[in-house]
Formats: sequence, C-alpha cells, structure tokens
Amino acid sequence: MGKVKMKRKSTLIDMTAMSDVTVLLLTFFMLTSTFLQKEPVTVLTPSSVSEQKVPTANLASILVSPEGKIFISIAGDADAETKDTWGSEALRKTILDEAVTLYNKQHPNNQVQLSVAQREAFSKINMFGVPFQVLPQFLSMSQTDQDKFITDMTQKGVGIPINDNKDMEHLNEFQIWMRAIYNSGNENLVKAMKKGEGIAVKADKDTSYDIVHDVLDNLQTLKMNRFSIQTALKTEQD
Amino acid sequence: MAQIEQSDGGKKKKGAQKKMSIHVDFTPMVDMNMLLITFFMLCTTMIKSQTLTISLPSNEKVEEQQMNKAKESEAITLILTTERNANGEVKKDDAGRPMNVVYYYEGMPEIADANGDGLIDNNKLKAEKFLGNDGKLQQGIRKILHDRNLQVLSKIEKEKARWRAKEFSPISAINDSIYQARAREIRNDSTLTRPVVIIKATPEASWESLISALDEMQINQISRYQIDNINQVDSALILDFLKKNPKK
Repeated sequence: MGKVKMKRKSTLIDMTAMSDVTVLLLTFFMLTSTFLQKEPVTVLTPSSVSEQKVPTANLASILVSPEGKIFISIAGDADAETKDTWGSEALRKTILDEAVTLYNKQHPNNQVQLSVAQREAFSKINMFGVPFQVLPQFLSMSQTDQDKFITDMTQKGVGIPINDNKDMEHLNEFQIWMRAIYNSGNENLVKAMKKGEGIAVKADKDTSYDIVHDVLDNLQTLKMNRFSIQTALKTEQD
Repeated sequence: MAQIEQSDGGKKKKGAQKKMSIHVDFTPMVDMNMLLITFFMLCTTMIKSQTLTISLPSNEKVEEQQMNKAKESEAITLILTTERNANGEVKKDDAGRPMNVVYYYEGMPEIADANGDGLIDNNKLKAEKFLGNDGKLQQGIRKILHDRNLQVLSKIEKEKARWRAKEFSPISAINDSIYQARAREIRNDSTLTRPVVIIKATPEASWESLISALDEMQINQISRYQIDNINQVDSALILDFLKKNPKK
C-alpha cells in the first residue's frame, strides 16, 4: 500500500436511499387515499362536530349546487359477491330502467327511449343531473363532452328538475329518481336508506336555506324522513 | 450501496479479473416516483367527509288531538338568518366569521299591539350569534341553550368524568358503549327539565347556519328538537325586532 493515492472524487450521489423513501411514500398514498369523485360543482360543506363517516357503498348522494341545481350519484354494493347484481354499475342500470319506466308512465306523450349503448354509458357516470328529455342526447356524448355539458351551470338542461310537489300521483323528476333508487330491489341500499345512512345531502355552506329546503321537502313528501347531511369536521371550540 | 464491489481481499493474483464496480443510477427512478407521488397527492382525498343524520317530521297532516304539543315553559324557538350583501353573498364580520344571526324566543310568541303604534308591545325576540366556546366558557346561543339544559348537562358531565377515567370498563370499546347508553338515558330522562327546541330558518339563512344550529343540539345534549317551517308570526317578530333595533 505505502504510497498514498489521490482518490478521484466522484460527483455521483447515491440515490438508492432517496428512491427507498419515495417508494415508501408512494405506497402510503396509494393505500390510504380514495380517488376524488368527479363532481360537476365543488361545494364546501359546512362543518359539524358529528363524527360519523360517510359510507362508501350503498349510498345515494344528492348534490345541491349554489344555483339550486340537483345532481345525484349512486354507489352500489362494495361486496364482490353481489357485484354482478348490485355493484355500482349494475345498480345504476336497474335504477335507470326503473326511473325511465316511471317517467314514461307519467308522460305518455313524451316518452324517453334509451339504447343499450346509452344504458351502458349511464352506468359509467358517477354523478348525473339532466332532465329526462335531455338524457338520450347527454348519454350519446363522449365523456369529455359530458363533463363540459354538466359543469356549465348556465345551461338549461343541467340539473334534475325539482319543484314543490306534494302530489304523489304526479311525481317531479327528482322524486322519480329517488323513488327509483328506493325501488331498485337492492336490499342493502333500502336498509341503509331506512336508517338514514343511504341518502346524503351535500350542499355548500353559503347556499341559502330555501334552495336546500326544496330538496328536504321533496324527501319528506316521499316519506324519506331520515337522511344524512355531509359535513366537514370541526371541534367544539369553534 | 448501489454498487456491487467485487473485492478480492487485498491479495492480487496474476490473471485475476480487474476490480469492477457496478453502479446503478437511481436518479430516473426517483424522478418517476416523485411524479407518481405528486399525481396521487393531487388526485386523491385523504379526509373522508363526515355526516350528520337528521330526521324530519312527516309531511302528512296530523289531527289536532294527536299532536304532541310542547310545554310552553320548555319550548324555545330559534330562528336562523344570515346577512347577505346585494349579490347574495354571505357577509363576514371582522373576525371572518359568516354573519349568521340567531333570533330566539322562549314559550309562545306574542304579537299583540294594544296601543296601535305599529310595534309589538311585548316582543320576546332576542338576537344571538354562533360564537362557540371561549376556553371552557360557552358564548352566544350556546350559553342560552346550555343554561336551559343545565340539569342534563351536569349529570352527563359526571358520567363523562367517569368515562375518561375508564371506570365503566378498562376496555375502551365497552367503556364507550356504556357511557353512550348512560348519556342517552340522561338525555331522555323526563324527570329533568329539558328544553324543546324548534329550529326555523328564514329563506336567506345559509345552510351552514342550520348545521350550526343542529350542532348546538348535539353539543348541548338536547334530545328534543325539530326543524320547522317559518310562519308569518315569526316574520312579524323579526321585522318588529329590526324596527326597534336598527342595524348600525
């Protein structure tokens, strides 16, 4: 050895440790997170001290935009065994058929007919909110066009029509959808709806009460008296 | 770390292979991972939102005799409203809180105007705000409700202390459920004086104010409350209140 050699310093930084850390972080994020659901409008939910969690399965959530437009999103059974009958996609198709039948019965002169492809398209949509008359046209659009269409709040054909209706013989469109969801035949969903966990109303905290009241009143008329409200968490101090 | 060194223990033999170090450069891998992390962070939610379960009364008409009337001494009515500017946006106060006003009256409303001056003689309406706690002290509407439900709250407070000390059971799940059951029993104990709260919201009241009111019910352990529609008497009371107490 004797002779001291001048070592040439290398500028290479060892990235192995760094890569270990990033992979760990990545794993953490993949396991803990759930994907953001696409929603036509972003609403800031009010905060509450309630600590109940929102169920991810068997849930019909109703989104009320600040303009008073209504959107509905349906989630089916998470159970893999019942996926073919009551998984989200199958459930949405059943509900769509039920709702369209109900609508056509009430509007014999203005019937809506949907093709197989349109039904298929409906089962892929997380959140929908168009009047029945616009439904075939909406479902024929490409996905990007659908997103563009539904996020434009100024459009007339956006939002499920709702009015103050107490007449159970002639339901409004929102009531038809809710009735169809209830009549879907999925026992778990019906059970959750009876307990009040199956329906979640989501509205912006600044939305005025008369807008949300329409929705609450319609639910009451349908005898869906128990439901939940989506909130964010806060402490008692605030 | 990322290199495999083939050492030969210092002894050099003739014809031995040249010392070789295999260096794997992990930089692109890290780059890619970082990109993936960024993607996941942006596209996912970590917080699951909470829910608040409520039940509304049925819309069907109830016969007068079948109605459950609240005792006048127990009743307290909250009327929620929110101040909005010309564009319909919620006004904020100096502290950045939305200006939600809670009008409240106890018992039955009185709208008699005997002297005919256009003002209600005995307007019991008072205005409060959602202020939350100041340390341990209740403020605003919470203080009013807290004082009305003091008997229940003080009893529950005692149970809570026992629950914190895990006196019911050392297993926290059982401890929780026993505490919950006892608290429920106290909340529904008809021998205690408990208020009946009627929550009404004006059309311009924000959704947040209604949730805050429901929250106050939970915080103050009030088991009997109801959301009702606002009527003409309530509007008359508010108009009268605003006439007597003009906004600055």
